[in-house]
Amino acid sequence: MKEGFDTSNCFTIQGKLALPYSYFAGRVGSRFLVRIRDEKKIMGTRCNRCAKVYLPPRQTCDVCTEDIRDNWVDVANEGEVTNFTVVRYRDRHLPKDPPYILAVIRLDGADTSLVHVVEGVSPDRVRTGLRVRAVFAEQTTNTLLDIDHFEPV
Amino acid sequence: MSEKFGVKVEEIFDTMQERFRPEGAQGVDASFGYDITGRGKWRLTVKDGAMTIARAEDLGDCVVVTRADPDTFVGVNIGKVDGTEAFTTGKISVEGDMGALGKTFKLFKRFTPPKKEPTVREYILDMFGTLTARFQPQAAGDSKLVICYDIGGKDGGRWTAVIEHGTCTLSEGLASSPSLTLAMKAKDWVDLMLGRVDALTLLSTARAKLEGDMQLAMRLGELFAKYTPPGQEAVQDEELLVLKKVVSVGQKFATGPVMGKFLNGLKEKKIYANRCPVCKRLQLPPREVCAVCRVRVEEFVEVGPKGNVRLLDTAYYASPDPLTGETRETPYAMAYILLDGCKGQEAFAHFIRNDQLDRIEMGWNEKKGTIVRPVWAEERKGKVTDIRYFEIDE
Repeated sequence: MKEGFDTSNCFTIQGKLALPYSYFAGRVGSRFLVRIRDEKKIMGTRCNRCAKVYLPPRQTCDVCTEDIRDNWVDVANEGEVTNFTVVRYRDRHLPKDPPYILAVIRLDGADTSLVHVVEGVSPDRVRTGLRVRAVFAEQTTNTLLDIDHFEPV
Repeated sequence: MSEKFGVKVEEIFDTMQERFRPEGAQGVDASFGYDITGRGKWRLTVKDGAMTIARAEDLGDCVVVTRADPDTFVGVNIGKVDGTEAFTTGKISVEGDMGALGKTFKLFKRFTPPKKEPTVREYILDMFGTLTARFQPQAAGDSKLVICYDIGGKDGGRWTAVIEHGTCTLSEGLASSPSLTLAMKAKDWVDLMLGRVDALTLLSTARAKLEGDMQLAMRLGELFAKYTPPGQEAVQDEELLVLKKVVSVGQKFATGPVMGKFLNGLKEKKIYANRCPVCKRLQLPPREVCAVCRVRVEEFVEVGPKGNVRLLDTAYYASPDPLTGETRETPYAMAYILLDGCKGQEAFAHFIRNDQLDRIEMGWNEKKGTIVRPVWAEERKGKVTDIRYFEIDE
């Protein structure tokens, strides 16, 4: 377009694109979440070949490719912070008001880790190795936030 | 049942005649072959809106032959197996004219398996046939038990279950010194096992008799897992979680000078096209450059507002309206309308009033379609929706 063209007809149109989504938790994921919601217990799946316990549970062992969907094992509601970050911004999809601690937590009895929120300790005091326990949500939502957060033991 | 889905291959073929849809057979004149692994071959012949199906030895004269194993064939026919998937994974193979095969899909109504209630005799045979499989060794422990079943009536029979060392064996006839004998009619036994009647009712009305170890009688429900009729196994109550979310994305569209001219025109109830200086064709909505001649297009021409419908495209499955995110009500139709002043391919696409869809006729060549006029929005903002829709001009 040549410079200095007639812009008298130019304007902008506001639009909105709304995309309805359905996220299926899967059979394994559903059972995991229902148990947390109804019984306040955390379950993983265990590979019978390599003995690895997955939490969150998986349908297939990623080492042996074994089908492990029926091998449910209870893991503890307590575990250890193995890594963490501090979320300092607000966004609609984020679960808590900033600043909050988002930690990688390995629960006792599990070999893989869960990412969840840690409360009850200030962001500048949190350290790896911190022992934490699950605090279950009063209002359940059929999501992983049925564990509301983890707090120091 | 011989098949995984409780339907025999033969049932699919035997019901073809009654499922046949003559309206789906128009213009079909061919033979189609089916080769079902281990079950044989069938030839379907369709001609003059009628069909015949018969077993065949040789399918050489068929335009297309479909090969499948019995479970896949039945599964596809009753809608339990996805045909396309079965084809891509090689469970169904097709030899010959694929296009011809497509015609067969319209020939028949979907097969619905008849809901057959097993007879009392079939139930009895199945119940005792599965008895040892339903035995729960951990409930029996080390005890030695002999249970006699004296099931009366023509559908009945006599069986003895012997439980010993954590295993259960069933034999016909009654043992001489049982721990427990149950006696009742076949129909009552079936009802009891299916939970239609409770044991106490049968006993109190003398329809059932128990002799021997009453405590054992009370434990029968632990010794044997609950009976489930064939075809109803593996139905497990399982809560499955689905999270529904609507993701909303805000957008801004810059009109530019040319689309801006068109959209501003709508505010004043004017529809502008622009005309290519080289080929003289109109572009509607207008574009900055002629799509054919690739030269800048400067001249605007007012067209319409009335026009005739060339093509009506009715949607029965709604997609979200991209401008609002709302899902439209169905059916709705997009029409290609040749506005007055336009010719050939210069049609303009817009909605047709929903309640007039069935009265719209499409035009072709020199024949005009239904004449329609725009219905303008009260408040016009320079959007395509400033025309709400077109309606019949009458």
